[in-house]
Amino acid sequence: MHVKTLVLAAAILLPCAAQSTAYRAPRTADGKPNLGGIWQALNTANWDIQGHAAAAGPFPQLGAIGAVPPGLGVVEGNDLPYLPEAAAKKRENFANRLTLDPEVKCYLPGVPRATYMPYPFQIVQSDKTILFSYQYAGAVRTVNMQKAPEAPIDSWMGWSNGHWEGETLVIDVTGLNDKTWFDRAGNFHSDALHVIERYTPRSPDTLFYEARIEDPKVFSRPWKMSMILYRHEEPNAQLLEFKCVEFVEELMYGPLRKKVSK
Amino acid sequence: MTHLASLFVLLLMTAPVYGQASFRTADGHPDLQGIWTSASVVPLERPASLKGKEFYTEQEAAENAKRVLGMSSWERLGSQAPEHYNMSQYGLDLSQAKVASTLRTSLIVGPEGRVPPLTPEAQKRIAERAARNRGHQFDGPENRPLQERCLIYSSEGPPMLPSAYNSNLQIVQDADHVVVLQEMIHSARIIPTDGSPHLAQSVRQWYGDSRGHWEGDTLVVDTTNFTDKTAFRGSTANLHLIERFRRIDKDTIVYEFTAEDPATWTRPWTAQIQLVRIEGPLFEFACHEGNQGVANTLSGARAAENVSK
Repeated sequence: MHVKTLVLAAAILLPCAAQSTAYRAPRTADGKPNLGGIWQALNTANWDIQGHAAAAGPFPQLGAIGAVPPGLGVVEGNDLPYLPEAAAKKRENFANRLTLDPEVKCYLPGVPRATYMPYPFQIVQSDKTILFSYQYAGAVRTVNMQKAPEAPIDSWMGWSNGHWEGETLVIDVTGLNDKTWFDRAGNFHSDALHVIERYTPRSPDTLFYEARIEDPKVFSRPWKMSMILYRHEEPNAQLLEFKCVEFVEELMYGPLRKKVSK
Repeated sequence: MTHLASLFVLLLMTAPVYGQASFRTADGHPDLQGIWTSASVVPLERPASLKGKEFYTEQEAAENAKRVLGMSSWERLGSQAPEHYNMSQYGLDLSQAKVASTLRTSLIVGPEGRVPPLTPEAQKRIAERAARNRGHQFDGPENRPLQERCLIYSSEGPPMLPSAYNSNLQIVQDADHVVVLQEMIHSARIIPTDGSPHLAQSVRQWYGDSRGHWEGDTLVVDTTNFTDKTAFRGSTANLHLIERFRRIDKDTIVYEFTAEDPATWTRPWTAQIQLVRIEGPLFEFACHEGNQGVANTLSGARAAENVSK
């Protein structure tokens, strides 16, 4: 009986224990947890942040290459508290994703989507500024660590002010526009989006990532997503260019091309 | 706010040589961090009228600064469309920027002050390229300039050059990287300073592959692995760049680059630019996301063809 209770208690406590602050990260020269490195999510949240089975992709001619890989989802509780009109818009987004998903056009991905796209990103950490450089589309943002000025204007990657809470880097992201999505499934937000990100080292080569999403124009309550980010440990790991603008020109401008008369 | 009220001309007469940089990161490296502008009142190449004269007198330098800053944005850009290029309404005009003026008459150093002559091979290559595009400038997106396509800005580098407006950049460092983030067009060039070797020759990039090391207080950056699409002033994929960054005081970094490409220029050449500290912040330059230019230009060309049919 005792043992049973213990096992049950352990099973309940275990998911929380995974994000406990028992691990102490190596320090930068100024004494802060060192998050520097090249990181990548190993999940399929970019296809759908909610749990989903494998599915055929929109282009049958691509075969397995274009199929949607399955995933457990990254949304805590798995439910997205859409307001009724917003739920309808999400379905519409999915139906029209080939023209509406900003990723199709190589547009900047916004936050938090940049974190879990299937591309690596690099953190360069100084005491004044922490820079996030994403391989996808050369997206970049700088996190103010000294002062926390208000967002001067809305932008694709938003305005990031950071501070440390023990081992955790907490970033408050505001000033996001309404043009980015959460994933290829059409999950979206408005320009009222407010994201609070938390990056916590949980071992030498993994970070626990959590994003609290608040957007009263789209969701009835705040909700959270969380996942693990993995360090690229290859000795020659390096962020390479993925300037995808060149790869979308035919899609975007092809119909405006001069017709070659025969 | 008038133009003059926001006009700062820092006359940097000489570049004083300090034995030790007083600006250090917590890691002990020279601290290049901050937001900077490469805005300049001096052209890359020395004007013919100043042939043989590498430096102005102080009075001449002041007169040149006054003349250049007195021009309108569109005069400086050589544009016939002031309504499109009145940068002062956005606070982006050169006259509204901090400018480190120098006694130099050209950014290119040395007695010539000009890009060396092209090799015969390069002349042929560039002429052929121009001939291929002649009459086809409006056929498709690949016929449009890289800048208009939001692929790469001619001034963002490497090598970095002053732009006609908005020459802003930010430098962020950790223990073994220096990042140069250009506002236009949000390119973050991450330069490892850990002694790692260049990428394999098969990996070619728009910004090349940069590796840095510290020589005393100077950051020296070696860049190779370019593509031939980048074509910096006609260069090939074998362009080899060496850049030097040295912070000489609180508000100034002396930036110098040497460009070498035997298939393009008859000899290597070097330019020097002062970067001046500004308050910032940098803004997001979402070039491609707001690009109406390519679609409008191509659809205009198609409409013109239909009319002339």
